[in-house]
Amino acid sequence: MNKIITGKNVVKTYGEANVLNGVNAEIAKGEFVAVMGPSGSGKSTLLFALSGMDDVSDGSVMFCDTELSSLKEHELADVRRAKMGFIFQQPTMLKNLNILDNILLPAMNAGKKDTAKLLQKAKALMKKTGIDGLENRDITEVSGGQLQRAGICRALMNEPEILFADEPTGALNSKSAEEIMDLLANLNEEGTAILLVTHDAKVAARADRILFTKDGNFVFELSLQRSSGMDMEARVEKVLAQMAAVGI
Amino acid sequence: MYSKLIKNDIRKSKLITLAVTAFILIAAMLTALAATLAVNLFGAVDNMLQVSKSVDFVQMHTGDVDMEQLRSFVSSQPSVEDFQVLPFLNIDGAEIVIGDGSLSDIAQDNGFSVQSAKFDFLLDLNNELIQPKDGEVYFPIYYMQEGAAKLGDKVVINGVEFTMAGFLRDSMMNAALTSSKRFLVSEAGLEKIRGYGQMEQLIEFRLKDGVAPSEFEAAYIGAGLPANGPPAITRMQIALMNGITDGIMIGVLALIVILVIIVAFLCIRFTLLAKIEEDYKEIGVLKAIGMRVGEIKKLYLAKYGAIGSIACALGFLLSMPLAEPFMQNIRLYMGESDRQLAALLCGLAGAAVIFGVVVLYVNGVLRRFKKISAAQAVRFGAPQEKSKSARSFRFSGIRLFSRNIFLGIKDILARKKLYVTMLTVFIISSFIMIVPQNIYNTISDKSFVTYMGMGMCDANLYIKPTQSQDVIPKANEAAGILANDADVAKYAMITTKMFDMKADDGSTRKLRISLGDHSAYPIAYSQGTAPTTESQIAISSLYADDLAKTIGDEIVLSAGGAEKRLTVCGICSDITSGGRTAQAIFDIEPGDILSVGIPVSFRAGVDANAAIARYKGQFPFAQVYGIEENIDQMFGSVIDAMKLASYAAIGIAALLTILVTALFMKMLVTKDRYSIAILKTLGFKCADIRKQYLTRSIVVLVLGVILGTVLANTLGEYVGVAILSAFGASSFNFVVNPLFAYIVSPLLIAVCVYIATMRGVSDITPLKISEHIKEA
Ligand SMILES: Nc1ncnc2c1ncn2[C@@H]1O[C@H](COP(=O)(O)OP(=O)(O)O)[C@@H](O)[C@H]1O
Ligand SMILES: [Mg+2]
Repeated sequence: MNKIITGKNVVKTYGEANVLNGVNAEIAKGEFVAVMGPSGSGKSTLLFALSGMDDVSDGSVMFCDTELSSLKEHELADVRRAKMGFIFQQPTMLKNLNILDNILLPAMNAGKKDTAKLLQKAKALMKKTGIDGLENRDITEVSGGQLQRAGICRALMNEPEILFADEPTGALNSKSAEEIMDLLANLNEEGTAILLVTHDAKVAARADRILFTKDGNFVFELSLQRSSGMDMEARVEKVLAQMAAVGI
Repeated sequence: MYSKLIKNDIRKSKLITLAVTAFILIAAMLTALAATLAVNLFGAVDNMLQVSKSVDFVQMHTGDVDMEQLRSFVSSQPSVEDFQVLPFLNIDGAEIVIGDGSLSDIAQDNGFSVQSAKFDFLLDLNNELIQPKDGEVYFPIYYMQEGAAKLGDKVVINGVEFTMAGFLRDSMMNAALTSSKRFLVSEAGLEKIRGYGQMEQLIEFRLKDGVAPSEFEAAYIGAGLPANGPPAITRMQIALMNGITDGIMIGVLALIVILVIIVAFLCIRFTLLAKIEEDYKEIGVLKAIGMRVGEIKKLYLAKYGAIGSIACALGFLLSMPLAEPFMQNIRLYMGESDRQLAALLCGLAGAAVIFGVVVLYVNGVLRRFKKISAAQAVRFGAPQEKSKSARSFRFSGIRLFSRNIFLGIKDILARKKLYVTMLTVFIISSFIMIVPQNIYNTISDKSFVTYMGMGMCDANLYIKPTQSQDVIPKANEAAGILANDADVAKYAMITTKMFDMKADDGSTRKLRISLGDHSAYPIAYSQGTAPTTESQIAISSLYADDLAKTIGDEIVLSAGGAEKRLTVCGICSDITSGGRTAQAIFDIEPGDILSVGIPVSFRAGVDANAAIARYKGQFPFAQVYGIEENIDQMFGSVIDAMKLASYAAIGIAALLTILVTALFMKMLVTKDRYSIAILKTLGFKCADIRKQYLTRSIVVLVLGVILGTVLANTLGEYVGVAILSAFGASSFNFVVNPLFAYIVSPLLIAVCVYIATMRGVSDITPLKISEHIKEA
């Protein structure tokens, strides 16, 4: 079994409205999957459902071999903490803590006693993401791009098996977006699976597979195996063409 | 439109609205209660004094009164409206036999009297004049509470039989604190027992309106009229004595009211600020689209106006049944107040004042609307508090705490202002819980008598001329027996005598001085010390006021024709003998001795009650009292009232703590829902997050309880003095029950805080990550 996430017939309703209409989705270990679709088509809802952060109305979501809905609140929290990382469009940081403490937050939660090692790791991550030197800044004292990088550092502190990213570059300029995507691609190379929601063809083009959603269903799946040897430009072309076909 | 907005808002935050309503309600209720009780108490006292045509000035005298002399004095005094002389036949408590028992255990001077013809009437429980038939006796109301007698009992005095026909109200001697009690019999009844006791005369005056009793007293003494009894009593003192027990309770109530009102306003402020912070963006938007500040304020004012008016109305309504148990005691002793309507209106006015203050206060808090810049509000929301100490408190530097405790403390440091509200409430709660308890402990403690002009002994023997003509030999006889008694650890002999004092203006007045070894049974002096040389004298604070003397001043006595110059060395509080006493240690010349008191201490392990019972048989010529029954009889009602008030205070403090903490935590969780969602995405369990909130309340709790306890035992003492100064005790130290003050009350508050926090943070579990973090 090399699937990390398996969603079967996932249904999510808010009152009368069906946001997800029985979606089937699989993500293999180490795979990079992008989700594209018009605004309001249920992309975020899908991401929350597949990561177990939100319960589903029907169907099932498995993490490796575990049915998420069978887990208790605290078991779910443990899985989330140890195996998953999250990145959002707006960096979700605690206002009270400085950059370094925000990054350390999930690792401290893991009950790791060795503070010196954790500090080292956090600093290494900050260096890798290009925000070293900002450790003691308040979160209001850095730019959006820097904050997003800090968010990535935080997501990576526990070396997750999968990263969930909901429009991580949506609020950034194109240069910052490019840099962030380089980072994520690197991570993926190192073996972390990624499920990423985006509107940006350039961003999506980095994935192995792109799922197109409309009205709570997958309408198309585009495979972009990197081994196929297509260059970046050709991949972006392909994504854009498909987007037009789906009508985004 | 207002009502729709208000309804929506209230529906969205039910608990918070409920809590604010509860605070305003409690504040309004207590204010109304205190106002109603105060007016009713004054009304009842006044009514009784009026119906009974109470006296303005009374002098007691043993022996004959020259009526001619009195009449000519009165005719020379235009200030006198009326006067009379009433009999007061002292009968020893042991001689008043009721069934199998007697009144021997009760430390009161019992006197028999007849109904007056002119004024100072004795009233029944309907405040009507009693006309006793022959063979009937009416008991003072005091004995109703003591349970000494009931209707129809046979009462035998030296073989003369009476039937107990009812209880009476006596405007002059009603209060437990007054040491004399009047029984009422018919003229014929009094004649039958005249031979069995010492006859005293009550020389009573009613003065014209506006006459100062002190001027009259000076004239009375100046005229050399009979005055060998205790110092004269004036109408002021009579009114005070009647109101004091309930007055103290109202005082404690008022203290609690003030503190509860402070808490209520803190909570209103907190909720309002939190609400504004939450609505910050919207307020900014409203401003941006051109809505005027005044209009926005109106929305908030309308909401709090609605809540306030409902809460105040309910509070007032609730105060009415709540006043009943407090009113019962007042009613029993003094009858109905004639100002019930006025009391009700005052209660209503009290509740209305609370409403007005709430609205004004909300209006004041809303002034910061002006400061909200539309642009800033829309872009960044409410500004963060900046704190240096919070910045330097970091994960990376701290290894002492677990992550949850760290985050809890961090939040307190980062948002100090917010937590100061909670801290203040905990301080006040501890204060409310501890101070009335301390007052109660202090007045119920054995040592409290030392502030009241009595030494701390186990038993007291009194030998008075009313019981025995040869006071000094009898006292010496008793002392001789005590000296050889194996049970006795020590005793002293204090002789009280009336002296003539030369006032500075040359006139003469009476001074009541206790002579003897005052160091054996020291009393507490508010200033200075006990007399240690023959030329020193200590005086009670009432005397100090009367005579305008302080420490170092000279008092000149005329003793045996010669002048005796004494220096004031100490001032003490005293409630015995009408509060006018003095102590000195010079030798006594024989003369009019008022009494000899012999305080006795027993050795450790001696059964005090058995010894006291033995002395009663051994010293038939003396009144023997155990100190505990003495205290109980004098302060019993005050102690009971304080006990009630202190338990009420504990309840109120616990309720306050629970309400405020639950409210506070609920609001914090609402405010912090975004942070909570973040923590959840990072794999923090609900239990972890609850621990963070518990850490916040516990840290604030510990600080609050420590500060509160310290304040209660320091500042609280001043408050206690203010309340107890009604007794004439002008300075004293709290007797603290350490178990209660340092263990039980903090634990009680801690339990309340724990329960309320857990209740308040229950919203953490159902909080959905997706609803607070999901992108558009
Ligand atoms: N908590 C919610 N309650 C009701 N409807 C919701 C809720 N969250 C999302 N929706 C609806 O579900 C649909 C999908 O939302 P979302 O997954 O955020 O879309 P996307 O991320 O693709 O833009 C939208 O129509 C949105 O209005
Ligand atoms: Mg979305």
